[in-house]
Amino acid sequence: MSLTQSKLPLTGRIVMFFIRHLQQGTASLGELWRNPLSSFMTMAVLGVSLSLPAALQVLVKNAENITQSWNSAAEISLFINDGRSEQSIQSLISRIRVYSEVDSVSYISRSQALEEFQSLSGFGEALSYLDENPLPAVVTVTPLAKYSSPVGARQLLQKLEHEPEVNFGRLDVEWLERLQALVNLLERTVMAVGSLLMLAVVLVIGNTIRLAIMNRRTEIEIMKLVGATEAFIQRPFLYTGIWYGIIGGMLAWIIVNILVLFLDGALADLLGLYGSTISIQSLSFSELIQLVLLASFLGWLGSYLSVRQHLRKIEPS
Amino acid sequence: MIQFEQVSKVYSGGQKALLNVNFHLQKGEMAFLTGHSGAGKSTLLKLITVIERATAGKVSINGHDIAKVGVKHVPYLRRNIGMIFQNHHLLMDKSVFDNVALPLVIEGFSHGEIRKRVAAALDMVGLYGKERHIPIMLSGGEQQRVGIARAIVNKPPILLADEPTGNLDPKLSMDILRLFETFNDAGTTVLIATHDLGLIARMKYRTLTLRQGTMLGGEPSGAMTAGGV
Repeated sequence: MSLTQSKLPLTGRIVMFFIRHLQQGTASLGELWRNPLSSFMTMAVLGVSLSLPAALQVLVKNAENITQSWNSAAEISLFINDGRSEQSIQSLISRIRVYSEVDSVSYISRSQALEEFQSLSGFGEALSYLDENPLPAVVTVTPLAKYSSPVGARQLLQKLEHEPEVNFGRLDVEWLERLQALVNLLERTVMAVGSLLMLAVVLVIGNTIRLAIMNRRTEIEIMKLVGATEAFIQRPFLYTGIWYGIIGGMLAWIIVNILVLFLDGALADLLGLYGSTISIQSLSFSELIQLVLLASFLGWLGSYLSVRQHLRKIEPS
Repeated sequence: MIQFEQVSKVYSGGQKALLNVNFHLQKGEMAFLTGHSGAGKSTLLKLITVIERATAGKVSINGHDIAKVGVKHVPYLRRNIGMIFQNHHLLMDKSVFDNVALPLVIEGFSHGEIRKRVAAALDMVGLYGKERHIPIMLSGGEQQRVGIARAIVNKPPILLADEPTGNLDPKLSMDILRLFETFNDAGTTVLIATHDLGLIARMKYRTLTLRQGTMLGGEPSGAMTAGGV
């Protein structure tokens, strides 16, 4: 007789290990099903808690999308020195075209610039009194997306200003920087609020599991008396936590989708006024999976912390 | 099988429950443990099942010093000991089947094996056919027998009973004791704590008597000291 070991053979134990996990996992789900009202209340709390960070994630994602579509805002205008021949300007353009940072280059000659100014500004009449064309030739450079960030575009601008034909360059980047700062702020807010709400999820599940443990105090004592290990006793509680997380995560996904549907029409109207056709992108399938995985991890963590703290205290007496 | 050498137990409040207790219960032996309430019967059983640990002395089970059994191994040790309680300690919201099957589920037996063994155990205690009942539907004697079925279902080498006949009339008590005799005949070591002296007197088994924490009749080991206090 071996006192301190299981009596079953090793292979049997391994097989039973998996079967038991499966059984206890489904049993936990069944347990939740048997108390639908209280389980659903907990799940709803989790769903609402998780839906806020998920909704903020949708917001950040769409803000990023929109700022990316405003890439052309990072155009660099190069003003050419007066008196440069058309030929030297063309050679400048072909030199810039081979820059690895550059996506495209366009050229507005002095006469084109004048025509454009005349037609757009309303000063057409006044301009005709001038002896010569005061407008410089302009080369417009669009950097590749990789270099269109404020920092990247500014570096490119400095490089371009070293070209001898270039008088000076202009990068209207300030508002882009502000926008990016705003998006950064938004992202941080999402992280901070998200972390707090995830903590709330862990605490809610921890507390729910604590109550479940208290409710089953006698049962736990009896199980310890007849030789159940801690692992065996805690497993149903851990599975319960995971189930809470999974279902809470799915509820959050549903809530976010309803929110997006609700907002999409209004936003389309708003953006329509600005001549944009962007529509809100909701959470993708992979984001749903991530959300559910995260939620189930939080559920496990909450119940694990609770189980560790409370299960050990219950001893038969 | 169960050996106490100079075992003392002092609770944290300073209450001396057991003092220098010595006895040796042989493998396959059946014995009664008796004494007034508060004499230390329950403490002695708790030391065997490692619900409490001895303050001094050595408790061995089958030659293993249980002071050396770590917390993690206590569950495995308890699987070798079938325990029966006065207040049954049943899961009141689970069926008779689930109650009796619990030790087997914990041990990890397959479903088919569990059904076979639970049926056999219930048959042995005379509750065959009541698998689907929940404990509340059963009488006190029947509940006690569910507890016994649970204690013997995984065929432990040791059976401990704490006041198993406490709430039962003499006829039922005798039935329960006859049941223990059957298990003992099959080789199980049985220790029954009881204050029902009339019951003990009718049966010729060794009696260990506790009085205020000390044991009378513990030595000589294996002797038949039938009778009362």
